[in-house]
Amino acid sequence: MNVIVHRVAEFLKRFPPFSFLSKEVLEKVAASVQVRYLEKGETLFRQGQPAEPHFYILKEGAIILTESLQNHEEIRDQCDEGDVFGVLALLGKRPYVLSAKVEENSLVYAIPVTVFEEILENNSRVALYFAAGFASGQVVIRQDLSEGQKARGIFKNESRDHSLMIFSDQSEIKFSEKVLTCCPEQSIQEAAALMAEKQVSSIVVCREDLKPLGIITDKDFRSKVVAKGIPLETPTSKIMSTPVLTMRRDASFSDLYLTMIKNRLHHLILTEDGTDQSQVCGILSDHDVLLSMGNSPAVLIHGLMNTLDLKEMRLIRDQAEQMLRYYLENELTMDFVASVMTEVNDIIIKQALRIAENSLSDEDPALKKIPFCFLSLGSEGREEQLLRTDQDNALVYGDVPEALADQAQAYFLKLGTAMVEVLLACGFASCPGDIMASNPKWVQPMSKWKEYFSEWIIRPTEEAILSATIFFDFRPIAGNLGLGETLSLHIYEEIQKKKIFLNFLAKNAMMNPPPLGFFKDFVAEKSGEHKNEFDIKSRAMMPLADLARLLVLSHGVIGVNNTFKRFDRLAELEPNYEALFKQAAKAYEILMRTRALEGLRNQSSGRFIKPESLGKLERQLLKNTFSPITELQSIVKVRFQLDYFQQ
Amino acid sequence: MSWWNFGRKKIDHADFVEAFLLKNQKPIPAIRSIAQLEFTVFDTETTGLSIKDDYILSFGAVKIRNQAIQIETALELYPNSPNSGEKTAPIHGLIQRENQLSIRQFAEQSLDYFGNSILVAHHIGFDTEMMQKACKPFGLEKLPNPMIDTMTLAIRLEHGPHADRSQFNPEQYGLDALCSRYDILTEDRHTAAGDAFLTAQLFLKLLKLAAVKGIKNFGQLIR
Repeated sequence: MNVIVHRVAEFLKRFPPFSFLSKEVLEKVAASVQVRYLEKGETLFRQGQPAEPHFYILKEGAIILTESLQNHEEIRDQCDEGDVFGVLALLGKRPYVLSAKVEENSLVYAIPVTVFEEILENNSRVALYFAAGFASGQVVIRQDLSEGQKARGIFKNESRDHSLMIFSDQSEIKFSEKVLTCCPEQSIQEAAALMAEKQVSSIVVCREDLKPLGIITDKDFRSKVVAKGIPLETPTSKIMSTPVLTMRRDASFSDLYLTMIKNRLHHLILTEDGTDQSQVCGILSDHDVLLSMGNSPAVLIHGLMNTLDLKEMRLIRDQAEQMLRYYLENELTMDFVASVMTEVNDIIIKQALRIAENSLSDEDPALKKIPFCFLSLGSEGREEQLLRTDQDNALVYGDVPEALADQAQAYFLKLGTAMVEVLLACGFASCPGDIMASNPKWVQPMSKWKEYFSEWIIRPTEEAILSATIFFDFRPIAGNLGLGETLSLHIYEEIQKKKIFLNFLAKNAMMNPPPLGFFKDFVAEKSGEHKNEFDIKSRAMMPLADLARLLVLSHGVIGVNNTFKRFDRLAELEPNYEALFKQAAKAYEILMRTRALEGLRNQSSGRFIKPESLGKLERQLLKNTFSPITELQSIVKVRFQLDYFQQ
Repeated sequence: MSWWNFGRKKIDHADFVEAFLLKNQKPIPAIRSIAQLEFTVFDTETTGLSIKDDYILSFGAVKIRNQAIQIETALELYPNSPNSGEKTAPIHGLIQRENQLSIRQFAEQSLDYFGNSILVAHHIGFDTEMMQKACKPFGLEKLPNPMIDTMTLAIRLEHGPHADRSQFNPEQYGLDALCSRYDILTEDRHTAAGDAFLTAQLFLKLLKLAAVKGIKNFGQLIR
């Protein structure tokens, strides 16, 4: 191989989808690359500009993808080394939906679409890889996080080829069954009039037997009629695209989708037997595809919002778990994955409230007028609950006159209990510590909640600190969300008054057992049910979550709940530790991913991992996540003077 | 054919040299913008630094069009030694190649590749001399293409057009030093193609720097 081509290939092969290519194909791709250099402030492509015949991979530097809204620009994504972007070019010549702006001097490899089209046709793994990106509405086919994670994506077994199966559910394919047709003799003007009337972008040309002869789309009117200036009386047969590619209507969605991608079709005609010798029975446009793929989470959410049936809710939550697995296996960003799953969980809680309220319809209307708010605590509070691990929640309601107090308490306990029941029915495990909205202790009026928090802050006993770690991550989900904000503000003020509380919190953050032993190996549980297993939650995730909580609280930041977002925020607040905080954020994302995948594999909470069941690479990856823990702990130790701080 | 070529007719011009010179007759207009220019960035690996005694072991090149390095144009050539092969011991890690070219084939292919593009190299004077030496037997006295030396360009951009070159330590403007100054990863140096690729990346960056300084067309660039 030519030295120059070889060097380009060496870079490309580190990143998917290039890592899936054979040596010969990779060489061909590498040989087609154009190397561009852009300086900070330049724009590679602009929103609305027609797609170039290339897509890009960032070799060096940093590029941000922005969307211009009415009066400002919003950053949609940031590309780092190895990220592939501008890929909409592969899906037909549609204009860019975002602008690519150069944030740091960047070297960019441009890869011609023509070269890659061939690969998409012959390598379903690559096609699926891109499909995964489109499915999530991603603009960057991201190779995020550490090198190790990149490597894992490459060495992973090939199970991902089946992951698109989750889209094969026929009910999810939204194609139009009413296909607009016309005869080949009809004039193009008549055809256009029909299309305009029905507001569709395509018309199928056929005779009475409905066997498709050709298709005319909006684009044909632009390029074959207006541009050429042909008379409007021209028969449709003159401008139709023919022959047409057809598929069976019951073909799997991934087949349909891949056919469209491979052939760069904007419209795919579906017929009874899949050939053009049978009746047209539907048409699938790329718009439909993008809509139903891109909004696949939205399909689930839509489904959830339209049912109060427990069985169905459970089913949809199960389906969401399949989607989760697919996302995790395809290494989609944790930010995206977590926010989708949080959205799903939140909707379930909101529906649980509706169900609970319906069941209490006979209660005193005066009670129903009392404002209240359902709070999620712990991991769901932090927007990190991917699996249906323990539910932690509570309920706060507005203060009521003394006379109403008992009644109100009873009413909200019933409400909370009913909601907890719904969540149990949807598969969320019960909290072993009984921190749930079905426990009278955690269903209280605002004044009582303020008292709880003040008490924990003023008298930070061991138990109080333990409660703090759970309750301080609360997030208002359903009901009157303002109550949650009031409570947040109260906590913030109390901590400002009694800063020493943070030292106790800091001390607690150091209490978790270290993840690695003297010989740099995993510290496994010594006894009990999980003997010889590694507790990823208490040894790796909790320390990070504790540290993040402590540090954001010490900065007076409220409202950022998510652990990795907290670290991102900290990176902004403390630029001198930026690298460390970013590393910690990544570490946490990796831990979440590892735990969720483990849980999905074993149908468990994923909390306990058998170190020997991990591959060497996974083990190393996991160990790498521990180093920020140690570093952060030593910073906290100094900052909160824990050596001099005696309880 | 213009009048001055008339006298040279007698020298044995190989056909490919004729064709090459013909391509280069038409000068590039000074106002042509840099984005429109075609550059050939090349490097030669030689047996030594003596133009008289040494010769080219390998030749590597890549083109820049539309301000982008076109990898598909990457070229490597391995000419035979003039004394046909006896001295082709491993030098610079180069071993006997199967695809070695006769000097004539080498001259033909490299000139055809150059076409009427602008030639770019680091210390271009040396590489040009070596190329001209290789092409001389076929009637080419001098490469007619416009030339840019990335070292000279870097000095000019960093210190202004009237900088006194004698004041700079040449090492600061070696390819290694420039690559590290301009954040270019030097992986496998010491192959002609590898160095040509590095030089091409350096040149892309220098062109951006040039644009900032108001150098936007061919006339300004070649000065």
